[in-house]
Amino acid sequence: MREKTMDSGIFVYREEAAASGTGLLKGRTVSVQAGLSVAGWPAEAGSLALRGFKAIEDATVARRLREQGAVLVGSTRMSELGLGLRDDGAARAVTAGLADIAMMTDLVGEARLAAADAGIIGYRPSYGLVSRYGLFGLIPSMEAIGVLSRSAADIAAVMAAVAGRDEKDFSMPEEPVPGFLDGAGQPRIRTLGWIRESVAFLERQERQAFLLALEGLAKAGLTLVETSLEEFELFRAVHQVIGSVEASSAAGKYDGVRFGYRSPAAKNWNEMYLKTRGEIFGPLVKPYLFQGAYYQFMKYGAFEKACRLRSHLIRELQRLFGQADALALPALRAGFDPREAGSVSALYDAFLFTLPASVAGLPAVCFPWDDGDPAGCRAIQLVGPRLGDAGLLALAGQAVTNKTKES
Amino acid sequence: MQYEAIVGLEIHVELNCLTKMFCDCPNRPGDEPNRNTCPVCLWLPGALPRFSREALEKAALACLALNCEIQKRSAFDQKVYYYPDLPKGYQLSQAHHPLARGGWLDIADEKGAPKRLRIRHIHMEEDVAKLIHELEGRTPVSLVDFNRAGAPLIEIVTEPDVRSPHEAMEFIRNLRTQIRYVGSSECSMETGTMRVDANISIREQGSSAMNTKVEVKNMNSIRHLGDAIAYEIERQKASLASGEAIVLHTRLWDPEKGVTLPMRGKFEGPCVPDPSVPEIVVTGEWIARMRALLPEMPALKAARFQRDYDLPRELASSLAGDRELSDYFEAVSRESVPPRTAAHWILTQYLPALKERQLSIAASPVTPGRFADVLRRLEADEINAASAREVLARLFDTDESPDAVIERGGFRQVSDAASLESLVEQVLGAHPTAMGDYRSGQAKALGFLIGQVMQASSGKANPKRVREILLSKLA
Repeated sequence: MREKTMDSGIFVYREEAAASGTGLLKGRTVSVQAGLSVAGWPAEAGSLALRGFKAIEDATVARRLREQGAVLVGSTRMSELGLGLRDDGAARAVTAGLADIAMMTDLVGEARLAAADAGIIGYRPSYGLVSRYGLFGLIPSMEAIGVLSRSAADIAAVMAAVAGRDEKDFSMPEEPVPGFLDGAGQPRIRTLGWIRESVAFLERQERQAFLLALEGLAKAGLTLVETSLEEFELFRAVHQVIGSVEASSAAGKYDGVRFGYRSPAAKNWNEMYLKTRGEIFGPLVKPYLFQGAYYQFMKYGAFEKACRLRSHLIRELQRLFGQADALALPALRAGFDPREAGSVSALYDAFLFTLPASVAGLPAVCFPWDDGDPAGCRAIQLVGPRLGDAGLLALAGQAVTNKTKES
Repeated sequence: MQYEAIVGLEIHVELNCLTKMFCDCPNRPGDEPNRNTCPVCLWLPGALPRFSREALEKAALACLALNCEIQKRSAFDQKVYYYPDLPKGYQLSQAHHPLARGGWLDIADEKGAPKRLRIRHIHMEEDVAKLIHELEGRTPVSLVDFNRAGAPLIEIVTEPDVRSPHEAMEFIRNLRTQIRYVGSSECSMETGTMRVDANISIREQGSSAMNTKVEVKNMNSIRHLGDAIAYEIERQKASLASGEAIVLHTRLWDPEKGVTLPMRGKFEGPCVPDPSVPEIVVTGEWIARMRALLPEMPALKAARFQRDYDLPRELASSLAGDRELSDYFEAVSRESVPPRTAAHWILTQYLPALKERQLSIAASPVTPGRFADVLRRLEADEINAASAREVLARLFDTDESPDAVIERGGFRQVSDAASLESLVEQVLGAHPTAMGDYRSGQAKALGFLIGQVMQASSGKANPKRVREILLSKLA
């Protein structure tokens, strides 16, 4: 029994059939984005490039969710190819009570800021921990399947179900999967670092609110440490250059030859190709692809430099994890609404603080914060060392529970 | 002015793997169009490449066969260009970190002197889809067959060491021998499992300048490769003579007209590291294991054949140049057949017979054992050479043993003195003139008389004995 209703812009497709199975996620309802494959479901990923496209097979993540008893309830509306949050419905599926858990792409930080904005928990796993097979994606080396929920325990259960090696994704390293269900067995986060150069991007009042929130968080027995990463501002340039170059390549498959929209006006295949590629991309993705092509074809040296800087920044973050178990970063910025970012520069402005985890492939979680002050900090972002995922989720869960008790 | 040609070769070799390079689809480009495809090689959204271990092993064997050094780390890049034969807008190829570097092959130059030609590097890459342009009624349509998309290739890039069409052809022949030997590819230019492009420039003799080169493609045989290079050298000389500068471009060889013609430039973008295929890391131990899989290579084998079987160099090289053939030769020799006889008969009788019947050694009903039987009968003077040829021919069409064929066909040689003497008497009686000619000093007449005796015996007489008896009678 399939029904195609569009719940006020949240879903593009709903499945009203499946009963819950048994397993870790028994009884949990899960939505996926329209760019994560579920066999037979329409999967247009918010793009004309994929008009009419239906997924042929299940993404590894979708299969593993079902194997652990989850009910896949439908696919949510998304911004084109997952870039930005302009048309995204994932967080609202959770806040409207239509799904317990929402799965969504995290490229520049979409899963984290969608959650931060909606007052729920949004998490991005360590790169390579979750198979990307079946994720349409746009920036292969910086994309991850994020998880949104009100409950950190549900997110941990999702990770216990989906994390780990997949023979269909060769880019996953061979490494042990963190024990997501075994909170006590994981090393606890005791010291929390914050980066001087990151908070410098906040207005004074915002900065005070953020540091106040960290002090509040530390009351649960954490030690706060001030750290320094001088080149913090470079995360933005590095992400933008590498991300746009990879996107330009990754979007090369959208050409109207095998699927999707094809320009009707062409007289021969050459023209068909050019016109189709000219017409299929929207106002955010198109300039982003142009930027990538520009670096690729005209400024290759800049791309190479960005790759070197990326390695440097990853080493710098590792150095900071020698001083603190996890790093706290702001999430939202006053005056930069992530849901409104419609240009590439507005996108990078709004997602400034979520870029480090994307660039370095590190786990990160955003969770809501409430000081009772309407002008106060609304969400805190924690970034952990590689494979420190379980500790981050445990801390986020604890913080959310404590706040609920306080109020 | 005296010019010399500077030629570098780029050789694409399709590896004969069971599957494609990044998915499990069968590597059979010739099947019904678009039969061997999956989400990975069609590059549907959500699919990820899975690099094939078999492709890596076959590529590595080919690299070792060409004396290259396998790199412990190599990686795939995206060669970006937009064309309907490339379903994802880039080709996975190893532009920055190739699988192997620094190889060589020895050839004989025009004067027969040995010359070493260097190989710069060998990288792996995937093949692209095949485009078919045809008419549907009066509307031109372009069809895409993805069977070949993702097929495993290696590209061998030489240093600009080639100086003549002869050297280029010798290099390719030798390369084909080496790669066939390790079993990585058939390397057939005719069927397209090997494609050779030549980069050609000319310069004043004695100069060390590297002038603008022209790339020539579309040669579908080794002979055409030589012809195309020869043509292009002359064309460039003529251009310079008429004051025209050489410009960097690509030309296609037209085998009908025997000329090279300029082709439209294809846009080619840069190569960026591919983020989805992990870096390929191999250990010294793995390389050693690959090296251990190498068979005895042709040059070493030829030397051994010369030494152990006492074969002349030519025969030894001819046999060693083909792995199956050399195995066949050794199998026949092991069956108590003198190696020289085996070598000679294999090359002059057996190979032409296979070719005539379009058979491979593996598919031939004439096994080494059966062939050796025939040759042993020949050596023992039980049959003569003419009969041996005939018996051999019959063995291709029957399962019977060589003995049975010899008996049934009455090929056993007549050697007993009494029968032969009576035949000789008959012939001498019938040809008194020839007898007289011989006795008056015309040695040629002996040959005629032997021929007559052989004919009278229906070819079964032992020619050596016939000769002896004739000589004694004529004395």
